[in-house]
Amino acid sequence: MKPFENIVVGYDGSHDAKVAARWAMEAARDCGAVVTIVHATGLREHLHQKYVLDVTPPELIELAQECAFELNGLHWLVANGDPCSVLLRMASPPTNADLLVVGSRGEGKREGLLLGSTSLEVAEHAPVPVVVVPSRYVER
Amino acid sequence: MVLVVNESFDDSSHEVAGHPERPDRLVAARTAVDDLHLDGDLVVVPAHSATREELVRVHIGNYLDELSAYCYSGGGDIDQDTYATLDSFAIAKYAAGSGLAVIEELQRRNDGVGFVAARPPGHHALADRAMGFCLLNNVAVAAAALRSQGERVLIVDWDVHHGNGTQQIFWDVPEVLYVSTHQWPLFPGTGLVSEVGGRHATDRTVNIPLPPGATGDVVRRGIEEMAGPVIDAFDPTWVLVSAGFDAHREDPMADLRLTSGDFAQMARSVSGYAPQTGRLVMFLEGGYDLSALRSSIHASLSTALGQTYDGESASNGGPGTEQIERMRQARRSTIELLHASDDEESTP
Repeated sequence: MKPFENIVVGYDGSHDAKVAARWAMEAARDCGAVVTIVHATGLREHLHQKYVLDVTPPELIELAQECAFELNGLHWLVANGDPCSVLLRMASPPTNADLLVVGSRGEGKREGLLLGSTSLEVAEHAPVPVVVVPSRYVER
Repeated sequence: MVLVVNESFDDSSHEVAGHPERPDRLVAARTAVDDLHLDGDLVVVPAHSATREELVRVHIGNYLDELSAYCYSGGGDIDQDTYATLDSFAIAKYAAGSGLAVIEELQRRNDGVGFVAARPPGHHALADRAMGFCLLNNVAVAAAALRSQGERVLIVDWDVHHGNGTQQIFWDVPEVLYVSTHQWPLFPGTGLVSEVGGRHATDRTVNIPLPPGATGDVVRRGIEEMAGPVIDAFDPTWVLVSAGFDAHREDPMADLRLTSGDFAQMARSVSGYAPQTGRLVMFLEGGYDLSALRSSIHASLSTALGQTYDGESASNGGPGTEQIERMRQARRSTIELLHASDDEESTP
């Protein structure tokens, strides 16, 4: 199988999103892929902007350093939409992700429910492989 | 002159503290109706809770089951924008059914203008997913009901956000023409000029994305020049408006610069697409500054009813005029390419 070249991770700042970003950076480090971390800007973020396009969140830079992942292979993207739609769009041009990575639950989500589960929605509709990283993941 | 509105239902328990999509929005909408001083010309129809049969014309059954179960187990955040409470499913069914009740009354009277002041709003709700404050797609439920009666339905969506749910639901449906003016880029990230409809409904989606700062003259020109000829050719038998008022310059959720006067002009222009009186219904979508919401609803309804509107002046001079002709040409090129590709596929 051809190694992954372009891994995209959904990011909302939650614990699970950070765990997913860590997994993606470790996987990318080992297979030589680039990692694009994308934040979906919702309706309400127009009132209180959480992240901006030109500034990679410092916690992601720290995470890359902890994982020994080259910073020039790390891209930060902010896109309008709900997390599921934004991640699915990443599998199309111009991003052309060949692997999508999500945490098992986003910010404020209730456990065990299908509705509102980005990971399930993305896994159901994505045209490329999807990795759902569990909350308790630690590198082995 | 008759305005038909739905009877208010108790929406107060679909609320989360601090959320901009809140019950006070409907208070503002009802006050705007009071401001019209219609007296005997105001008709209030009983609220109607949409049935499963009416909802499955646009939403998949599994989604309705999941949404219902989610709400009745206590609700919570569905995504970063969208919430549900214990009562939200019941309230959303009333919002979705309100349009049906208003349409039925207009069909009976063959007169007047309908206004559906209901929440939660609907135009972001997809066939299988809630998003963007929306649980059920109210305008789509109404359009689908009309379609089932053999009608040709024009939906004009002037909310500042693209109505991705409505577009998706009618993407390949030739009996429904969807026209949207919206700020771009902005949530939900869809609504490009190149999105023109599916293979069986090419030309049945018209997107008019506008830059931040665009004023009413640009929006009106976009509708007239890009959508006008398509609407004329479509020849609608009903006109439904996804009437969001968050393109108003005072609204905190976006950056267009419209005034109440612009909504008055747009309402007058859109009313002209209805084939006769009693075939126009406005559905409340967004609009989060309560004062702007009240004045803009009042402006829209008064001109749709043929009253003189002498409030806030229309706006002009914002950016975007220069891109209307480019967008019109880009749209035409996209449609020609799609037709050529269809011809190639059908050639043996």
